[in-house]
Amino acid sequence: MDLEASQISEDELDDELVGQKIGGVGITSSLYGAYKDRDPIILGAGLLTGTLFPASALGVISAKSPRTGGLTHSPFTLKAGMELKYTGFDYVVIVGKSKKPVFLWLHDGVADIQEASEFWGADVWNTTDAIRKSMGDDLIQTLVIGPAGERGSDLAQICVNYWASGDCWGFGKVFGEKNLKAVALRGMGLLEISDPEGFVDQCFEVLETIKGGAFAGKSGVEDILTAMGEKDAKEWIAPFVHRHSACYNTPYPTNTFVYLNENPKTLAEPTEQEPGFLINDVGALLTLKRAGLSAESACRVLKACAKYGIDPCAVAELSARSGQKDPDKIEQSFVDLKGTVSVPEGGKFSSWAPMQPLFADFGLSDESAYGDWWVRRQALAYLFGIHPIFANMAPELSEELMIEMFNKGTGLDLSQETLDQAIADVCL
Amino acid sequence: MFVSNVQRFSLPVQLSGYGQMAGIGFKNADMNFYHSYASINQKLAWGVNLHYGEDEASILPRDPIPLRIPRIGVYTGSGTSHSWLWFVELFDRMLFHDLVFLTEDMVREGVVQDLDVFVISGGDTIRIAEGLGCEGAGELESFIRGGGLYIGSCAGAYLPLKSSKQYLDRFNFVDIKIANLSKTLPEVKRLHSKASTAYGCDFVYHPVREDVRLRTTGKKPFTSVESLCAPLYGGPSMVTGRDSDVLAYYQGFTEKTIFLVDESFAEKTLVGKVAAARTAMGDGHLYLFGPHFEHPHFPMANHLVATAIFWDMKRERINRKSSDGEIILEGAAKKKLVLDIKREISNARIVSVGLEAIPVKWIIGCKTYEPEKIRVFLEAIWKRINRLERSGGFRLQKGADEQLVALACQVRQILREMKSRIDDRLDTQDLAGDLFSSLRRLTMLFLQVYFDSYACNLEAGSEIL
Repeated sequence: MDLEASQISEDELDDELVGQKIGGVGITSSLYGAYKDRDPIILGAGLLTGTLFPASALGVISAKSPRTGGLTHSPFTLKAGMELKYTGFDYVVIVGKSKKPVFLWLHDGVADIQEASEFWGADVWNTTDAIRKSMGDDLIQTLVIGPAGERGSDLAQICVNYWASGDCWGFGKVFGEKNLKAVALRGMGLLEISDPEGFVDQCFEVLETIKGGAFAGKSGVEDILTAMGEKDAKEWIAPFVHRHSACYNTPYPTNTFVYLNENPKTLAEPTEQEPGFLINDVGALLTLKRAGLSAESACRVLKACAKYGIDPCAVAELSARSGQKDPDKIEQSFVDLKGTVSVPEGGKFSSWAPMQPLFADFGLSDESAYGDWWVRRQALAYLFGIHPIFANMAPELSEELMIEMFNKGTGLDLSQETLDQAIADVCL
Repeated sequence: MFVSNVQRFSLPVQLSGYGQMAGIGFKNADMNFYHSYASINQKLAWGVNLHYGEDEASILPRDPIPLRIPRIGVYTGSGTSHSWLWFVELFDRMLFHDLVFLTEDMVREGVVQDLDVFVISGGDTIRIAEGLGCEGAGELESFIRGGGLYIGSCAGAYLPLKSSKQYLDRFNFVDIKIANLSKTLPEVKRLHSKASTAYGCDFVYHPVREDVRLRTTGKKPFTSVESLCAPLYGGPSMVTGRDSDVLAYYQGFTEKTIFLVDESFAEKTLVGKVAAARTAMGDGHLYLFGPHFEHPHFPMANHLVATAIFWDMKRERINRKSSDGEIILEGAAKKKLVLDIKREISNARIVSVGLEAIPVKWIIGCKTYEPEKIRVFLEAIWKRINRLERSGGFRLQKGADEQLVALACQVRQILREMKSRIDDRLDTQDLAGDLFSSLRRLTMLFLQVYFDSYACNLEAGSEIL
């Protein structure tokens, strides 16, 4: 999609590319190479995204990071990864800068560039509301920026609907520079699978196997924090927890919804229009907790980040460094917030997924092995479209299984050597 | 940008017509019905001589005369519901491709005289009669007397029955009485809005909905089937006079039958009464079906509709009037039209799916419309767009392309306005009438382009099966 020329062209995905690069980040990286002179930002679905394979929720954004200057990748989940797949577009390359604010509307194999001047300046929440209202559908998934992206902050994040995403690379700034306010996604198509019955049967078998895995009985960000060694996390956040929710087809609910303006124990519909907030960024919450913020203050900071479209992990890290604990003051600092924030291991994949195994040990004997293991595990998740946090919980989702599912789904013949090469290519 | 690869985990090519039935639960024998008629129609389009009961046409009763492609008119005018699309689905599956979609104005203008067959499906009978008026009734009578075949199901079956009621009294074509007519209403157990319709001082009541079991009489041309199922959605049970052949009686119910009144009362009203009749009028015939024989989930009943068409279609060939304003759209212009239609229909589908989750209904005339009906029209277009895209060129009337896009745009706008108003808890009844009227016109226009283009390609020798 050439925003400068306001032109759209389409290409078929060829077998050879899939056979070599698999999908997801393998192909977005390849496309980045092909278009890199035009400063592209690329959306992609993993090979299994949107299927019945457990945790097949991940979509990926690839672009040059304003923070590191290198090619980096961010996951987006909730229902947005799946919805991208169902729009009929596996990959979307966005180049050029639009003359005026626009949003992209991808639906059922049709890609449209739409005027977004009326949303420009609006925060993430109002933008998603306005897009859904104008298109007449509440199920539209949005990748959207807020004021941070419009103002060119290196810390700007592309949010998903109303909530944070795994964008820790400043991709919100890339959207803003392109005058791209949002990408709206909705599709009602079907997926075609080479061996549908075999594939679906195996998906159910895998699900049955992993349901009894190490994460059984756990839920939400608080249990993830506990698994990361934050023993009092559950107690800390408990007074605000309203419910847990999972991303598309993901067996573990990685998201915790907290009520800040209502009693979370109430069973009735909330009377407040914005009763609370969905926490899906474990790292940001952990940093704020360790900085000494109360659970309520931490949640208020995260909510403000999501509305402003700024990376909550970066905000948490910079606030912790400055010693600021007042959520209002932290929010007021967004406009001019700058600073260097830490880059995850390998500098390619988002730190949104904790850099350690969760609940299960994956056969790792000591922490020194976590770095290499995490990079390879994330590469696998980003190639196949697996929820990157869940990938760290379920050793049952092995590389051998992924290869088997690839072959069942595509009818092609993926080998371990090709997978190794694809992983090596995206980790370069 | 890369689109989904059809070989991968991606969107399949959406096939329409014959190719689309695999996977919806039909047995091979059921599929054979469609294949048989599709084969006949394809051969006829290629100019192959076929005779009733022989070779490819062995599915039909024997007759020494040669077969020819029937020109079929589908009534889509005022008063119709969405069920005329079931006839379209049947015709598409069986490759009946010489179709004309008619509004009440077109009937009144005499377009029916160019047809071999004219079908009217469900809806509001009185509104259909009102729309067609005296001129329409006259044209219809003249068409049938001149050798044409009229097929009416549900509302289309009530239309030509004897009646003294305003508007209907112009259509007293056959001496058949309505058996489900009463001065007093039986006690309704469920679905009150579907259980009866006022009919002057009386009521036409509908004792059951969904599947009913039928027994054929073995009379020609329904000689190949002894019993079958078909769905009943308010169609008549009938008592015939001497002039009519009974083709099928209501025999009983199935586990899918929904009883709107007491079961014994339903049995008394339906069982043993006529479900399908054939009546001669002048040189032509009327087939009246209480249940929807054209419903796409009932291959056996569909087979009987196709048999009736070939058996009693007008025997004399009508020369098709060539149209001066016809154009063939190809290349970039065709591609742009497809994209423009896809865009609007996709947008409309997305809103309509959302509406289906909202408890809202509209009353138009004497019929209740639920949001689910919106998508019946949209899907009829959506599932055929890709096939149309792959065809050689679009045959359409000059200006029809712009009209199509404008209508699709209008439908999308009304739907979005409707959703917005519902969100704001405002009334949408005024929009509903416009919506269904626009949907009907849009679908009719699209399908005309679809079948005209299809016929063009088929006659040019394209292999469809």
